[in-house]
This record gives sequence, structure tokens and C-alpha cells, in this order.
Amino acid sequence: MRPVVNVLIDLPADHPYHRATLAALGHASEHRRIPIEVQVVPTDTIRDAARLATDGSAVIIGPGSPYRDPDAANAVVREARERNVPLVGT
Amino acid sequence: MLVEHALNLAGIRDAAHAEYGPGGTPVITLLECSLLDQTITVDVATGSLLERLYGARRVVEHTTCSYGLAPEVQHIANDHGMRIAATDATGEVRAIERVDHPFFVGTLYQPQLRSAPGAPHPIFAGLLDALTERSPG
Repeated sequence: MRPVVNVLIDLPADHPYHRATLAALGHASEHRRIPIEVQVVPTDTIRDAARLATDGSAVIIGPGSPYRDPDAANAVVREARERNVPLVGT
Repeated sequence: MLVEHALNLAGIRDAAHAEYGPGGTPVITLLECSLLDQTITVDVATGSLLERLYGARRVVEHTTCSYGLAPEVQHIANDHGMRIAATDATGEVRAIERVDHPFFVGTLYQPQLRSAPGAPHPIFAGLLDALTERSPG
């Protein structure tokens, strides 16, 4: 099973920063030969922050604030911090 | 990340991001000089995870940020497990990381804008390295 990278981002899929974030993951995946599954997660769709920061996953807090649901984004950051789940916020 | 840190670790129970309007203690505020769509030179902290990832002490990055850490609460970036990982030419905090976490990095610039096929950004490559080190099986 491929490890999952959950990308929290509210920008539309055709926004340059949205595309750049997914492209950067693709570059890293290809270069490191690490297959990954990328899930784009708009913040206003988050119902259970813990499910986005589980063992075997990583989190990216994408660019483009203000977020639609900043409390949900903070909750995911907290879960990743407390569970030692790798996280990058840009 | 800094708002979560302020709320849950640094004891600023009304920590807020100024972009969401007035109210609370603003932890993230509008920069005096906007860095929207600019290239900046970033000085990376000695001994930081970021230094290991970059393999350099000074790097050039692209930023689209208009907001940064409020000067009044700058101390929280070096407290409760957080540390300043990079600053810019004006001394403003541009990156943070946790010392008590395998990979927890926040940037006030956009590393993804400098990534390219065959030359991934070191922060994104490092994230995947950390991910596979933790992945079960």
C-alpha cells in the first residue's frame, strides 16, 4: 500500500500554487522512487482531523490562506505534531 | 502551524491570524513590507533540520507571503519545542521546525515554486524520506 500524503489546500485545482504543490510532490516521489498516494483535502471537508494524520501518512498544509476552516486545519496540525506524523506547512 | 503552537503550547489562548479579521492576540500579522511574489535570500540556522536538508546555510527561495510572525510574539518561535530554522535579510522568521518531532517544518515562503523534474525541492524530498522511515511495512 502506498503511503498517503494529505494536502490541505483550498485553492482551486487550476491555481498555479495548487498545481505547483502537487507537482513538487511528484518531483520528489519520482526522484526518490517513493510511490505515494496524494489526497487533496479542502479544509471545509475535514470531519475527523485524526484520520488525516495517521501512521504511514504525511501532511502538507498548502499555500493560499485564509482557509475556509482554519480550526480544522489547526486540528490536523495538532494531530500531526502529537503523533509524530511528518508535516510541511508552506 | 504557529497559531496552533500559540494556542496549544505557548499558552496564548486567543491566538489569532490577522487575515481572519480583528479579535484575539494576533500571532500572524501583515508584513510591513509585503513579500508577495518575490525572491528572497534565506539564512538557514546552524544545526537545524533545514540546514541538513539544504546542505547549505544560505538559499534563495520564492515567496508569495504577505503575512508573518508578529514581532510582539516572536519569542514563541523558539519555545516549547519550536525553533527558528531560517530568517531573511531583515531578520524576520522565514522558517520554523520542531526539535521534538521527526519532521515538522513550516516555511513563510513557497518551496514548491522552486521544485523541478529531476531536481525536487529538498524539503519535499525530505518529507517523503521521513514518510517512508515511518511507514509500516
